[in-house]
Amino acid sequence: MGAIIHNSMIKSPPKVHLIDYGVGNLWSVASAIRYLGAKVDIISDPDKISNSSILILPGVGSFRKGMEALRNNSIDQAILHAVRDNDSKILGICMGMQLMGSSGTEDGQTLGLGLIPNTVDRFSKEKLDGKKVPHVGFNEVNFNERSGLFRDFSTTHDFYFTHSYRMLVDGLNGNYATCSYGETFLAAFQVDNICGTQFHPEKSQTNGILLLRNFLLN
Amino acid sequence: MLKKRVIFTLLYDDGFFMLSRNFRLQKVGDLKWLKKNYNFSKLSFSIDELVVLDVTRGKRNQDKFLDHVRALSEECFIPIAAGGGIQDIVYAHQLISNGADKIVINSLISQNIKTVQHIASELGSQCIIASVDVKKIKNDFIVFTENGTKRQTFSLDDYFYKLMNVPVGEVYLNSVDRDGTAQGYMQGLIEQIPGNYKLPIIISGGAGKYQHFMEGIKNERVDAVSTAHLFNFVGSSLKEARFELLNEGLALAKWDMSICESMQGFFECESNTKG
Repeated sequence: MGAIIHNSMIKSPPKVHLIDYGVGNLWSVASAIRYLGAKVDIISDPDKISNSSILILPGVGSFRKGMEALRNNSIDQAILHAVRDNDSKILGICMGMQLMGSSGTEDGQTLGLGLIPNTVDRFSKEKLDGKKVPHVGFNEVNFNERSGLFRDFSTTHDFYFTHSYRMLVDGLNGNYATCSYGETFLAAFQVDNICGTQFHPEKSQTNGILLLRNFLLN
Repeated sequence: MLKKRVIFTLLYDDGFFMLSRNFRLQKVGDLKWLKKNYNFSKLSFSIDELVVLDVTRGKRNQDKFLDHVRALSEECFIPIAAGGGIQDIVYAHQLISNGADKIVINSLISQNIKTVQHIASELGSQCIIASVDVKKIKNDFIVFTENGTKRQTFSLDDYFYKLMNVPVGEVYLNSVDRDGTAQGYMQGLIEQIPGNYKLPIIISGGAGKYQHFMEGIKNERVDAVSTAHLFNFVGSSLKEARFELLNEGLALAKWDMSICESMQGFFECESNTKG
């Protein structure tokens, strides 16, 4: 692991807005952010989301239900406004990352937020070679880039996954990290102010804490 | 490659954490004690997963247990499984929304399979751990439910055939005979599992030193080793155990424990701490 930067340059602790759309466990993500000494507010009001400068989109469940929950409350438009017009940074975690894609096939074909062009599909059965789905547990993530979201990481680190659907790397125009489970899939990415992790940084010990710190430092 | 896991199991009885020996419980301390004297948040950086079981022998207070699960999850950045006394989907949801990632069921499998199916349809079977308590009687391994008090009619291998039709994601196999003895995991237990049973297996009951973990993990059918022994792994011994296992080249997840202190409060700038 590279040299850890010192915190003396920090003017004031960042304030993170965690998007609550009725899907997923917000508690653990909030705890990890607080551990780092940053502030967390859990919000669902689209106006507040529009005006937030640091957003985290968590999520567990099916792609279709997730997108429906975002659309029903106009949270999708608020996120797009914050990220595209205000340059707010956003981190999607697990299904939150998947929802950033252009579409998903879980529970029927559904359009995503379209922040990145990638699509979300089930793990390819032929390539799994008897491996079980969902993919659950700590697995190795390979980093090509060591800057931004991936600052202070070396080539391989373990992160906690639990998912049945995945995105592939093709078409992504930015920095990324990959994991292998039958096939190589997208484990984490950063395209300017837009970040995502298929794994759960809040469940991945210091590896995840470091990644969350990087997201806030960015 | 998916990594093998070292799990710590906390046994809870009405506001206290317990030491168990052959399922007989002894009070050790409350949450405050656990955090203060045991430095739980630091200890949790040496394990891959935490299991918290409400083994209250009297009437369970679910709200109180939920508070404990939530408090533990605040300082613990690993998957947490919680259970004990789950009878319905509502409580299963409550455990998840209070910081648990998975739930643990045991007696419910024998009592009400429909509820298990309902929980699986809402949370996904990967969120459910089937806990199986087993006692060796003469040369047979017999399944017990209800905190080890109710003898079931089937042997362990029969039970596994039954489990093949139950929507769970993994199995937590606990030896009542070895529970709390620190004599090592029960010999011959893993061999009882049918060869075509493919879900991950966690073994529990008897670990007293890292060599026991090592024996467990080296078995290719074992995905995770657990201990509930609060005293044998107090202080730095869990950290040392992990170090020894990694040194042996066992496939455990790796992270840099030494940075946890520099990460804690990283963004609390000077003006903030003074002000």
